[in-house]
Amino acid sequence: MAVQSWSDLLKAAKKTALISDGKRKVHYLFTDGTEMAEEYDMKTDELLSRRLRSKSRLGGQGAWQVDVGETGLSLTETEEIKENSSNPVFMRKDTKTSFQWRVRNIPYPIDTYKITVEPLDRCCIIRTTNKKYYKKFSISDLDRCQLPLESSALSFSHANNTLIISYKKPKEILALEQELMRELKKLKGTNEGDVDRKTQ
Amino acid sequence: MAAQMTTTKVPEVRDLTRIERIGAHSHIRGLGLDDALEPRQVSQGMVGQLAARRAAGLILEMIKDGQIAGRAVLIAGQPGTGKTAIAMGIAQSLGQDTPFTALAGSEIFSLEMSKTEALSQAFRKAIGVRIKEETEIIEGEVVEIQIDRPATGTGAKVGKLTLKTTEMETIYDLGNKMIESLTKEKVQAGDVITIDKATGKICKLGRSFTRARDYDAMGAQTQFVQCPEGELQKRKEVVHTVSLHEIDVINSRTQGFLALFSGDTGEIKSEIREQINAKVSEWREEGKAEIIPGVLFIDEVHMLDIECFSFLNRALESDLSPVLIMATNRGITRIRGTNYQSPHGIPIDLLDRLLIIATSPYTEKETRQILKIRCEEEDVELSEEAHTVLTRIGQETSLRYAIQLISTAGLVCRKRRGTEVQVEDIKRVYSLFLDESRSSQYMKECQDSFLFNEAQPSQMDMS
Repeated sequence: MAVQSWSDLLKAAKKTALISDGKRKVHYLFTDGTEMAEEYDMKTDELLSRRLRSKSRLGGQGAWQVDVGETGLSLTETEEIKENSSNPVFMRKDTKTSFQWRVRNIPYPIDTYKITVEPLDRCCIIRTTNKKYYKKFSISDLDRCQLPLESSALSFSHANNTLIISYKKPKEILALEQELMRELKKLKGTNEGDVDRKTQ
Repeated sequence: MAAQMTTTKVPEVRDLTRIERIGAHSHIRGLGLDDALEPRQVSQGMVGQLAARRAAGLILEMIKDGQIAGRAVLIAGQPGTGKTAIAMGIAQSLGQDTPFTALAGSEIFSLEMSKTEALSQAFRKAIGVRIKEETEIIEGEVVEIQIDRPATGTGAKVGKLTLKTTEMETIYDLGNKMIESLTKEKVQAGDVITIDKATGKICKLGRSFTRARDYDAMGAQTQFVQCPEGELQKRKEVVHTVSLHEIDVINSRTQGFLALFSGDTGEIKSEIREQINAKVSEWREEGKAEIIPGVLFIDEVHMLDIECFSFLNRALESDLSPVLIMATNRGITRIRGTNYQSPHGIPIDLLDRLLIIATSPYTEKETRQILKIRCEEEDVELSEEAHTVLTRIGQETSLRYAIQLISTAGLVCRKRRGTEVQVEDIKRVYSLFLDESRSSQYMKECQDSFLFNEAQPSQMDMS
């Protein structure tokens, strides 16, 4: 049922598609004013990036929250304080069958990491035994569909200074994504530039 | 050790003097009333005007209560009798959280905005809304701060800050401003700090318990706190006050926040204002927000014209209206925009809605006291005789003129390497700078020799 409500929201959203440099870019405007922007690879149909932005309390436009894809280093608009490039970088990069997170630039051996799923808090936690890195992250796709989190779906590996965490997509999500992809392909996307970008 | 102390102290002092300049009313820190609202003769920079100050104190209580909307107060009195000072005193005693908007009557005349729009904006700037908002902060214990100054002495500083929680550690690169505020807050290794991501504001929470053994680095009021847990970056609910005008601006533009900083706000549609009003009262009913009525102070209110006055009449009736304080130094004069005469240049129907506070000219003793306060404020030392002479000048010319002479006389005194301003210094500047009446006198005597004096009407005709 919860899966249904999210897919209904997606259907009701005003969608705009655009194809440029080998990416299908889709912009969703939901009925509550929240915006979502996604980028898909044209060849593999993989999700490359997803960002969300909602109206702030006072009515102004909030900043884009990166859900999937690269994030910048800068923490503030003025760049007065930003994370040093030597720090681990956390990002989400999905494959067709699983949600996947990568922590780059993290050199510690594999037995340093302890990754747990907290079904009550609806999040996963990466801990390190040397107390150098800690990250609490939620799986927004599952939250939106209100599906339960399961520790059995989680696995991780470490290679080339990168920690890769995978969470197998449940079948509800897989079905939803396939349906969405079919919808998106039906959208008429203009080929180049924003010039006659359809807004309806 | 002592030498080191002095070298570290010097830049601090310089910083302070640069930030705070001395304005005409910077010596005023409040209304100078005691708990029973009785005015003290000399207190918080205020001297004399006892009745007016007591009246202002009552108004202040009313504002603090926040229950009564749309009252208007008029402070009337001769020039230089402390009208603006009383308004500033009210502003100072209201504290940080209550909005106080000050403008001069002539500020509302602009080609880009109608007079009533400027007035509505001023009204809405004076109403605050306290609201909870989520912001992102960085909270952690400082492991290390490293600031590299370039060898040449000029150019940008480079800084690195390492923060940790019980679970993790991160290195941050710092910009110039962030380095400055960290040094100003004297943040050092072992401190637990928070940094607001949106504003870059740094707040020191205390020292970490793990550093409790570093006795040498402790003051009496040092607080010990636990090292924060979990992630360095957190979302936190904070309460802050924004004015209705700020909410209007955010909602009237697509780019939102940026318009606040660019300064050009233009006119705001009345539909947007209505929407905001509805939304704010909805928040208030839900307990999400609290309305803080503030103060709108209009100086030189006789500069407003009849249209503005009729607008004020109506605006004061709205329940989202602040307490309006106006000041004027005019007697019975023409209302701007009409040919009618009225007291203070304000129409009778508006005057009828006002509480009027009158200020009276200062006595000799009071003038003397004010000059003394100003000397302290401007850091000028005055000898006893010079003080008497200056008081005399203040009584015979005007208080403002006498105050002007303080800093100039102070400069003359410093040039002759004196430490205390003497009567001679006062005489010197009195001869150098004319006061208003001597200047008019001079004009009357030598008018003929000034430019554009003869045949002015005919020249006007030609153009």
